[in-house]
Parts: sequence; C-alpha cells; structure tokens
Amino acid sequence: MAKVLEGPGMGLLKKWGVQTPNYAVVSSFDEFEQLAQANDWLKNGTLVVKAHEALGSRFKLGLVKVGLDLSGAKTAVKEILGRKIETLTIGQVIVSEAVDHTDEYYAAIKSTRDGADIMVANCGGIEVESNWDRVKRLSVDVGESPAADDLQGLAKDAGFSGDLVNGVAAFAQKLFRCFENEDAQYLEINPLVQNAAGELVALDAVTLLDGDAKFRHPDWNFSFAAEFGRAYTRKEEEIMAVDAKVKGSVKLIEISGGDTAMLPAGGGASVYYSDAVVARGGKLANYAEYSGDPPDWAVEALTDKICSLPGIKNIIVGGAIANFTDVKKTFGGIINAFRRAKTDGKLNGVRIWVRRGGPNEKEGLAAMKALKDEGFDIEVFDRHTPLTDIVDMALVR
Amino acid sequence: MSILATKDTHVVIQGGVAGVNAARRMGEFRHMIRRPLNVSAFVYPPDAGKTNEVVCGNQLVAIPVYKTVAEATVNHPEINTSLVYVGADRAYAGANEALDAPNVNVVSMITEGLPEKDAKLLGKRARQLGKIFNGPSSIGVMSAGECRLGVIGGAFDNLVACKLYRPGSFGVITKSGGLSNEIIWICSQFADGITTAIGIGGDAYPGTDYVSYLEMFENDPQTKAVVIVGEMGGDLEERAAEWYGAKKRRITLLAVVSGFCQESLPKGMKFGHAGAKEGLKGEGSARAKSEALKKAGAIVPDTFGALGPAIKDAYEALLKSGEVKPIPELSDAERPRLPRTVEQGMKDGDVLVTPLIKSTISDDRGDEPLYEGYPASELINNGYDIPHVIGLLWDKRLIGRQEAEIIRRIIILSADHGPCVSGALTTIIAACAGIGLSQAVAAGLIMIGPRFGGAVTDAGRYFKFAVDNGMSVDEFLAHMKKNVGPVPGIGHRVKSLRNPDKRVKELVRYVKSLDVPMPHLDFALEVEKVTAAKKDNLILNVDGTMAAVLVDIGFPVDSLNGFFLLARTIGLIGHWTDQKRQGSRLIRLFNYLVSYAAPSRREVPPLK
Repeated sequence: MAKVLEGPGMGLLKKWGVQTPNYAVVSSFDEFEQLAQANDWLKNGTLVVKAHEALGSRFKLGLVKVGLDLSGAKTAVKEILGRKIETLTIGQVIVSEAVDHTDEYYAAIKSTRDGADIMVANCGGIEVESNWDRVKRLSVDVGESPAADDLQGLAKDAGFSGDLVNGVAAFAQKLFRCFENEDAQYLEINPLVQNAAGELVALDAVTLLDGDAKFRHPDWNFSFAAEFGRAYTRKEEEIMAVDAKVKGSVKLIEISGGDTAMLPAGGGASVYYSDAVVARGGKLANYAEYSGDPPDWAVEALTDKICSLPGIKNIIVGGAIANFTDVKKTFGGIINAFRRAKTDGKLNGVRIWVRRGGPNEKEGLAAMKALKDEGFDIEVFDRHTPLTDIVDMALVR
Repeated sequence: MSILATKDTHVVIQGGVAGVNAARRMGEFRHMIRRPLNVSAFVYPPDAGKTNEVVCGNQLVAIPVYKTVAEATVNHPEINTSLVYVGADRAYAGANEALDAPNVNVVSMITEGLPEKDAKLLGKRARQLGKIFNGPSSIGVMSAGECRLGVIGGAFDNLVACKLYRPGSFGVITKSGGLSNEIIWICSQFADGITTAIGIGGDAYPGTDYVSYLEMFENDPQTKAVVIVGEMGGDLEERAAEWYGAKKRRITLLAVVSGFCQESLPKGMKFGHAGAKEGLKGEGSARAKSEALKKAGAIVPDTFGALGPAIKDAYEALLKSGEVKPIPELSDAERPRLPRTVEQGMKDGDVLVTPLIKSTISDDRGDEPLYEGYPASELINNGYDIPHVIGLLWDKRLIGRQEAEIIRRIIILSADHGPCVSGALTTIIAACAGIGLSQAVAAGLIMIGPRFGGAVTDAGRYFKFAVDNGMSVDEFLAHMKKNVGPVPGIGHRVKSLRNPDKRVKELVRYVKSLDVPMPHLDFALEVEKVTAAKKDNLILNVDGTMAAVLVDIGFPVDSLNGFFLLARTIGLIGHWTDQKRQGSRLIRLFNYLVSYAAPSRREVPPLK
C-alpha cells in the first residue's frame, strides 16, 4: 500500500469529479504570496493551513491552523515551513479553503478479498469513530460497479433522507470510479460536508493507492509517503533506491532506540526473527530483509546501513533455507560490508549471529565462519539449528 | 498421493530466462524421481519458434517455445498446468491466457508486485471456471516423489536432504517462499517428510486461500497432518481456523503465525510481505489469528522454533495410532545423485579423456594467457615487445634484442605498399562493396601467394637448401632451372637495378651493420649479382631479402610467409578503414579497361 499526501490525493478525487475545496500546495512563502495575488479564494475565504508531510498527529504538533484570513494564513505558512520535527524538515504546506457547513458525514471505500466495500455514515469527523455501527456498507464484487439503486439503498440505510439520498449515492458513485480507475486500496472522506449551494464536498481525504499498479498510471507524478507516521530516513531512502534498481529485494526500516540489529533473509522469515527478538524481550533496532537472489552489492549496501545503526549490540544474520537465493554470493556482500564496518570501528562490542541454508550454503557459511579468524565476534550455524535459535542465544546472554 | 501437482501434471511455463531456470530446477527433480521432464512447452513471444534446452538427468531436452498458451496447448494437449514467470505488467494478461486454455486447470504465478485488483480478478475468474489460480508471489508447489512446480525446494542437495524423492505424511501451506523450504526441511527431520507443500504467496489477496487447500488435503488419504505458516494481515488464517473448527477433520492441523512483534513496534509501523497489514481496528493481528486457530483445535506453538518439536509430537502420535508406518531410510549409496559433468569427473580423477587437439605454445586456463609459459602481463612489464611474442608463438623461443629489432624493421617495411597491389586492391574493392572488416581483410590476404608477398617461405627454403648443401651460385641456379623454375625471391614487376627497391637496400644495410654472420643473405646477394646481370629486373626482392635474413636469425622456413602476412594485415586494415571513412561507393570496372576478346554476338542454335 502506498500512501498519498493530501494534495495529490485531492487531485485524484477532482480528476474523477469529486468536489473538493479550493486548495494549493506551496513550498515557499514567495510562492504563497504569488498565489494569493492570483486567487480570489485565498483573498476572501476562510483558510486552513496544514503541514503537507507524512506526519501523524499534526494537530498536536501545531502543524494545522484553522479559521485564518489571508494575513493569518501568511503567518501560518511562514511559521510551519522549515520547521523541524525530529529528522524531518517541513518543506510543503497545503492551504485550503474552509467550507461553511453544519452537518458532517463519512464516506469510504476499502479493498476486500472479493472486491471493495463502499461505506457511508450520516455522521462524520471524530463522531464516526465512536459510532462505528452507524457506518453502513455495500459490497461490490471485483470487476463490477455498484448499481445506482443499491447506492441509494445504502444512503437510505445510513439514515440519509430527501435530496441527500441521491446526493450521497452520486457522490459514492464518483468516489468508486476514482477508487476503481486509480487502483486505490483505501479512500476515506472524512468529513464529507454539504456546502452552501447544497453540493457534497470532500473536506479531508485519506488516499492509499496500490503502488504495484504504478506502471499503468503515467500521471502518478507524486511520490508515495511513508505509512508509519514519520518521513523516511536517509538510510531508508537510500535502500529504497537500491531496491528499485535490482532483481529481488532489499528493505530497511529503522526503529530508534533498539539494540538488536536485524539482517535476515526473506519476507516471511524476517518477521519471525523480529517476533523472536520481541518475545525474548529484545529491542529491535530495525527491520530489514533481502530476498529473491539480489546482487551481492545490494546486500552489501544494506549491511553497511545496518552496521551504522547507533547503539547496536547484536546483529542477527538469519534466514530460512533459501530456494534460489545464492547463500555464498549474498554472504559475500555481507562480509565485505562487515569488514569495512570493523575497520571503521563500528562493530566494537557487537556480536554477530548467523543461521542460514540454501544454494551454496556450505561455502557461504564457511566464509562467515572464517571471519572469526579475522577477529570478528561471530557465531555461525547451519540448517540443523532451528531458525530463530540464534535470537535466543543472542539475547539470553 | 499428493494434491495440486501430481505425477500427471504437465506444464507450460510462461516466461523467459527465469522460466527456463525454473524448468532446469524441475528437470533436477524429475531426474531425482527417475521420470521424464514434465515441462512440455514454453510461452515467450520474443523466442517463439525456437527451443529452450533443459537438462534432465544426463539428457538435454529441447522444449519448444510458443507465442501463445493456446498454440502451446494445441500442440501439447497433455498440458494441464501453467507456471507464470512474466513481469507484473504483463502477468495479468498471461495468466488469463492460461485460464482460457480448456485443459489448463492450475495456474501458478511467481510474479511479485502484481496489482491487487489483477490478482482479485484472476482469482475470481479461476473460481468461476472451477480452476485454481495459485499466487501471485508463489514460490511454487512441491509434491514429494511426484512433481515440482517452480523453484520451490531449492538446490538438488536440499531436495535429497529433505527426502523429497518419496512422499511423507505432512502437507504444508505457507505464504512465504523461504519458509516453505524451511518447513519442508523440518518435516523431513522431525517427521517423515511432506506430501505436498504449497506457497500461496504473501500478497494481500492470494488467488487461492488455505481453506481450498485444506479441503484438498483432507481428501488426500496420504496426508495426515497439515502445517500452516501464517502471517498477520487479512483473514485467511481466521478462515482456516473456522474451517478446521467447523467439524471433526481427519487431518491434524499445526500452525504458526508471524507478526507478534507488531504489538511492540511504534504505532503504524508495518513490515513483511505485502499482505502483512493489520486492519484498522486490530483485526488480522498475529495474536487474533493464533487465538482463532488454537480455539479451533489446531496445534499452535508459541514460536517458530517450537514448530519442529510440535511436528515431531504430531508424527509420533500418528505412528502410535498406526496411521503412519515408519519409512525406511535410504542408505547413502541409494540416495539420488545428479549426473556428474565430465569436468567434475576429471577433477575427481576417475574419468580419462583423449584430447582432441594438442597445443604447445600457449595456455589460457589461468587468469591470463601464458605464451610459452610466460604470463603476458609480465612480458609487458619486463620490456618485451611484439617481436618477442612472435618469437615465442612462432618459434617457441625468447629472442634477443637484435633479432627483435630486425623483425620490427621487417614489419614496418612490409606493412603496406599502396592501394594498387593485389592485396590492398582486393580489400578496397571489398570495402567499397560494403563487406565487413574481417572478410575484406581476409579477401586481401587471400591474394598473398606465389606472385604477391607469398614467396618468402619458398625463397627461404631454397636459399637454405643451397647453403646447407654448400652449393655455388651457378650450381644453385642450374638446380632451380632444372627442378623448380624461376627463383623465388628474385625479380620484381617494376623495380630493377636502375630503380632499386629502397626497402631492400635499407634492410640489407641495417643487417650488414650488425657484424654478425648472415650466410643466407650473403648467398642471396651473390645470386642477385648473377641474375640481375642477365636481366635488369631480376633483383633480390623484398620477399627474398626477408627470407634470407629470417633464416639467418633462425626462424623456421614454414613460418616465413607469416611475417609478410602479419605486416601486410596492418596495411589492409588501414585500407578498409580508409574506404569506410570516406564512405566510398561500389566500384565497377570500366569497360575500356577490359579487352573483350570473346566471340561477338551470334545465333543460338536450336537445343538438340
């Protein structure tokens, strides 16, 4: 799943006829001033200014300002742009026009195994979260579209009446078109409001797209945002760049404050290794994974980053018995990076634990074992040692 | 027995290099169980009409490549299964093509990064047709002793170590490819091995879920227990639990679920496979899944590490109840082996091969060529030059400075002689006809023979004959007149005593200045005195001079033409590139340069 920031998300909604408030994404104060001169809604409207970054709890951090006139908005833009939140510098803000409204509603579409669920509620904002039973859903089979009758039935079911039945049904239809045609996995409009002209407007949206479908959407000219409430770190971005280039995959997520570094192979095994660390009371310093027989240099790059994680005590070089990832070759990359890290003094007091099987396992494991003679603090195990026993050994000490 | 992939499975592989590699792995498996290859065809439009060679045992089997699945299945009606190895952007169309084929009942896709919608549509279509769409992101299917679909199971040694040459009693279903192999190994160590192991892929919405396969395992009498390796996210494990708990099942269900670490990670942080995503309200968590499975009566060890002992317990219970019988182990000698290559056999010292050719001058088996034993790079670094390499490769000896200098001069003097001589002219004509470098130069070289540049060897041979036999010039000329004809190395088309060949003068001057005995050159010059006196242009020509000098410095007679060939190749390459650079056009001889001496036009008589 790939999260899309509000600006491009709103852009996709508009593309499919969903009404959104006026908005502009700006990355400098000058740009904002220019826009303000060109657009009446900025001059005359009530404005909302928000940091346009992949950040959770923007309200709490003071990165959302509401009910502003233009000069208030200018102050807010100046204040928010360039602010530093941990490792992230805020580079963009989104300025949007507030829409006068009385009632708030909710509409969402979620991917399911059989297709998608269209969900609506006649309450919105934070109210919906405490009234989940008021959200009514209509399931649509993959490859099919919802019938107008069914959507109207859904709206009625959710408690809408009068013109709003047709209004909400029509809105849901547009939202579904957007969902279907943009390979979305989750679209959430909350709140959905009615403006003075009686039109339904998507005031705020969560947009998750299927990143794997990017190849058939040449107009997805935005980058995806990190989904875990913070921006990607530099190390993560560098590994993503490597990942995009190679056959197979290399992945890295940093977790601050941990002391057990993870360098396991396989999307499945890597999670079992993480589970084992947590089960033993260890603290993960990262998540990582390499699989699909990636080139040795890619694994080497990943290892470089992992050896540079601060405060680590153990590195878990785990892995199941590979089907086709060459153990000797991938370990070759890891060993190169280990040697460099050792020379740079990054492995002082760090114990390395290895368990692996697969093509050329004998040669790969022997090469790892030989690191002992070079003064590495390393223990190497083969397929006869159960998968996650190295974690037990590493953390019991 | 087994499910999904059986001894009756016949496969078409859709894809290029990765597909061929999978076929190779499948060939290894077939060799292990002593059956012929079960890959009937490939579908890969760029290579349609060709064949891919797949090793199976000690055979190289040629498997045809088709443009479409329809074509493949018409030509190979036994095909009932397709393996999809094409890229994510074309995989949907590819898998649909396979589902279209009436006889294809199973489509398994290894492609990763298939858009979710595509996977859902393929799953739905397969269900409508009553077929199986397995994957995407599936490592494949392994049925011990019967069939391998894809690369699942890894290298041959691992197949044998996991006893995949015969069925056991455990079914395996995993999302992860790497862990499928791990569980196969565990089942072979803690129990009697597997019947079938299926990778369903780690995507959010795999085409076939645990329940469909559990149902199939339940109906397969050979399978007594099934191991599920689950992951957080989605509801497939919950559905499996529901199925298992719904009524008394014949099979024992064991399961582990990953993703407990999620509980102690920073909020919102997720990792693992694409499908490993917890729901917004905690549904699909590892804990919820484990609980559901436990509640349904499945054996759910707390950690992955505890799975081995749990499998062992389940196996022992099956033994005790008499449901399974212990399978006798194969002795080391009975275990299947891959045929060895000739190379490996020679390495191990138990294969003798009669060599086809013998080389005494160079050896390329190391990290750089050895000329007569000397590494090329060390020759360079020790100041040796091209003439020394000629000495090593043509006469197997390291020549001295003086000899090298003579050869260097010979090469410079004979490198080219303008565009008019037969060799250069031929190369130029070829170049103008658009012929490539090697062929055009070869055409020029073909002109080198008795009348042009190719008299060096013969000249050397006869001068050496005369000197070796202590002949006088008169005796020599008489001998040549009687037995051979004109003396090779004597005479020139345009040069003469009055118009001497500067190249000859230069070479003779230099060699004479060295103050070393040059008996053959001396003899050749004596011969010239006599012949040139008879006729002005019967001078010692450049071939003859080179020949005499080269024999004097010890080169074997048979190598002598090589000096001219080598030198003139430089010139011919020059002429070809020169024409190319100019963009020269096709040359045609003008009529007026031909004397038409053929009969003039006449009546054709009736054919008799």
